[in-house]
Amino acid sequence: MTAVSEAATSSAMRTREATVRRFAVTDMVFRTATRLSAMLVLVLLGGVAISLVAGSWEALSKFGFSFLTTESWNPVTENFGALAPIYGTIVTSAIAILIAVPIGIGIAVFLTELCPRPLRRPIGIAVELLAGIPSIIYGIWGLFVFAPFLQTTVQPFIIWLFKGIPGLDSLFAGPPYGIGLLTSSLILAIMVLPFITSITKDVFDTVPAVLKESAYGIGCTTWEVTRRVTIPYTRVGIMGGVMLGLGRALGETMAVTFVIGNAHRISASLFAPGTTISATIANEFTEADGNLYTSSLVSLGLILFIITFIILALARYMLLRIDSRTGA
Amino acid sequence: MKPMLSTDLNAADTTVEKAKIEVKNLNFYYGQSKALKDINLSLPERSVTAFIGPSGCGKSTLLRVLNRIYELYPKQSAEGQVLLDGKNILDRSQDLNLLRTKIGMVFQKPTPFPMSIYENIAFGVRLYEKISKAEMDGRVEQALKRAALWNEVKDKLNASGLSLSGGQQQRLCIARTVAVKPEVILLDEPASALDPLSTAKIEELIDELQADYTIVIVTHNMQQAARVSRQTAFMYLGELVEFDRTEKIFTSPREKRTQDYITGRFG
Amino acid sequence: MSTAQSLHQSRKRKNGVMMTLCVVAAGIGLAWLALILGALLYKGLSGVSLSVFTEMTPPPGDAGGLLNAIYGSIVMTIIGIFVGTPIGVLAGTYMAEYGRFSKLTTVVRFINDILLSAPSIIIGLFVYELMVRPMGHFSAIAGAVALSILVIPVVVRTTEDMLNLVPNALREAGTAIGAPRWVVIRSVAYRAALSGIVTGILLAIARISGETAPLLFTALNNQFWSSNLNAPMASLPVTIFQFALSPYEEWQQLAWTGALIITLTVLGLSIIARSLTGRREDR
Repeated sequence: MTAVSEAATSSAMRTREATVRRFAVTDMVFRTATRLSAMLVLVLLGGVAISLVAGSWEALSKFGFSFLTTESWNPVTENFGALAPIYGTIVTSAIAILIAVPIGIGIAVFLTELCPRPLRRPIGIAVELLAGIPSIIYGIWGLFVFAPFLQTTVQPFIIWLFKGIPGLDSLFAGPPYGIGLLTSSLILAIMVLPFITSITKDVFDTVPAVLKESAYGIGCTTWEVTRRVTIPYTRVGIMGGVMLGLGRALGETMAVTFVIGNAHRISASLFAPGTTISATIANEFTEADGNLYTSSLVSLGLILFIITFIILALARYMLLRIDSRTGA
Repeated sequence: MKPMLSTDLNAADTTVEKAKIEVKNLNFYYGQSKALKDINLSLPERSVTAFIGPSGCGKSTLLRVLNRIYELYPKQSAEGQVLLDGKNILDRSQDLNLLRTKIGMVFQKPTPFPMSIYENIAFGVRLYEKISKAEMDGRVEQALKRAALWNEVKDKLNASGLSLSGGQQQRLCIARTVAVKPEVILLDEPASALDPLSTAKIEELIDELQADYTIVIVTHNMQQAARVSRQTAFMYLGELVEFDRTEKIFTSPREKRTQDYITGRFG
Repeated sequence: MSTAQSLHQSRKRKNGVMMTLCVVAAGIGLAWLALILGALLYKGLSGVSLSVFTEMTPPPGDAGGLLNAIYGSIVMTIIGIFVGTPIGVLAGTYMAEYGRFSKLTTVVRFINDILLSAPSIIIGLFVYELMVRPMGHFSAIAGAVALSILVIPVVVRTTEDMLNLVPNALREAGTAIGAPRWVVIRSVAYRAALSGIVTGILLAIARISGETAPLLFTALNNQFWSSNLNAPMASLPVTIFQFALSPYEEWQQLAWTGALIITLTVLGLSIIARSLTGRREDR
């Protein structure tokens, strides 16, 4: 060919090579930026852990292990123990889960098996909207609407009902304040319900249709298919959802702060006011004077962090197992 | 002039034509498992070569080695040599982006980018060339004409590429590939997702394009291979069984396995 | 024969009971939503007036508005989003693109999912130790940083999920015309996943605009108008918290009105977000 076109192609080639070199640099920069951002996620969690340990050092080195077993919480004498908040946190979360799990599974069954198709999506969305409502809204609603309702109707009735029955009468002993452990548990149950529902529904959807169809084929009722096929098949996933809900309940702050009553003591009655870890921190942190007081509150935060980390890690592990089975 | 190979494998007319791509002792691995076993063949310039064989035989894998697209995934590796105009593209120093501007690829399913018809074509051109709007308009028109799509889309160049029919989308992808002026075009079962009419159009297009490009097409459709290609490679279980002129492969293959496959005894 | 029949009857009856309970459960779920929204509208609407949006938070016992709180919430939310979104999108990009097959991605995904559900009050404590204590005072910027830490995991998660939905064939096609990886990501993958990523950002805004706990001891609160990022700043949620627990009727009314504003904002954002990706979920 002619020398002119040879020269033209080779100069085009040179500009291409220059472009390629520029691309290599920008690609490296972008790649590094994404990688650093990904690592920042790890740094954040690490930072949270380190700062909590550092902040709680003073209190933990003073009180040692007895911090976990002491009920007293006295800012005046500067004697702090985490037992009451830990108790309140665990009791309210446990009751919330006990209430929310059957209802959540019930809604999931309703959505996957019973609900007419056109209604399925709107109802699913409505339940998920419940999850989006900020916790402070639950708190203000709980304090002004729900607690007075419980105080005037439900609690007196339960007290009357269980009066004189050993065990139950001290578990539900008066007076009916409205606010307290049980009210907090109920609010928490409402709050974790959407999480449990939507995860249960998702894992129900992973059950292969043939499995359910063959059960229906031999004449099983809807309940029997749910009980004998769907639930056993998705047990791990449901557990994951429950753990995730539990993680939420344990760390939930604002809603509980409104309705728990903020009393640092352990009472047998579920109607009595109590406190949780997060409610204690929210209520007292800005007003805490003295390093030991602040450090004790950070120590509570550290305990909460460890508990929720373990629960959430278990939840993710279980959900991962369901995912890898379906190849999703 | 190259010497005749005694094995007769490369005995097709390719010896007298200039080879665009030469594959030498190529092995390919997916992790531990060997997917291509000692492949040797040479693809003549400006003609159509077809890779045929039952699914899993390695024909797509071989195609994906030619522009090193397999490098997007981990644990896939090639050893041996693939010479493009005498230069080994498997060399570590080979820039992959540069390689791919020379060797374009069209996929099984149409893959229009989520942008307008015009942008689908301008996108690739703009990467390596700084040209004016008027020049770009010309390039887009030229590419669409080349892919026999211009008359159907000239009034809606700003419509989304996804709004086209499947056959049109595939021709858009061919136009997009042609627009960046490659030397080689790889086609990975380009018509398997299309209806017969669209398939006929694509085949016609391939026939026209071979005047300017070296074309390699992977297909599971033997009639298609017979219609469009000048030479055909039959692959089986990761090996190149037979490589010869297309009419020879389909009329008097040397190997029994080739014969069995083209007569429909397996595959 | 009769035993088989009675067995069949009892199975049918049991099924009926259980299915009724499921319907009741769904009814309970919907009833809560209705009850909460109903109470909010009933108590909140009566306090809605122009002065809510034009006047400052009042001293105890006086009438006033929520202007400084609304302003503070908007400012801190915007900063939180602007800081958190790029980091989240980039991290999600690494996980779905460059690092799709790397070990780091598996670890980051696990840790990110934990951050996603970690109690927000812990994030508040973290930022207190990180910024408030060294600086010696509460500040709006500390509040915004706390919010941005809540934004990151939400955006990381949705970005990764949405990019993973982009078919590999599109990436291969972009790569095959000679585009470098970052151009393929920017011009092809981001574009294909755009609505999903925007959904994630909207959900993140919805989440942080109602967050209270992480602001309590970072941005604190401010009775007055302040646009100084280095000083305490009011926010709607913290103001609601303070006013609702007070004994003053005017404050309680403002708390309800603020609660209504937040809820409508959050629900509006979630509905928009869902409608953006709705068609895909339907299948």
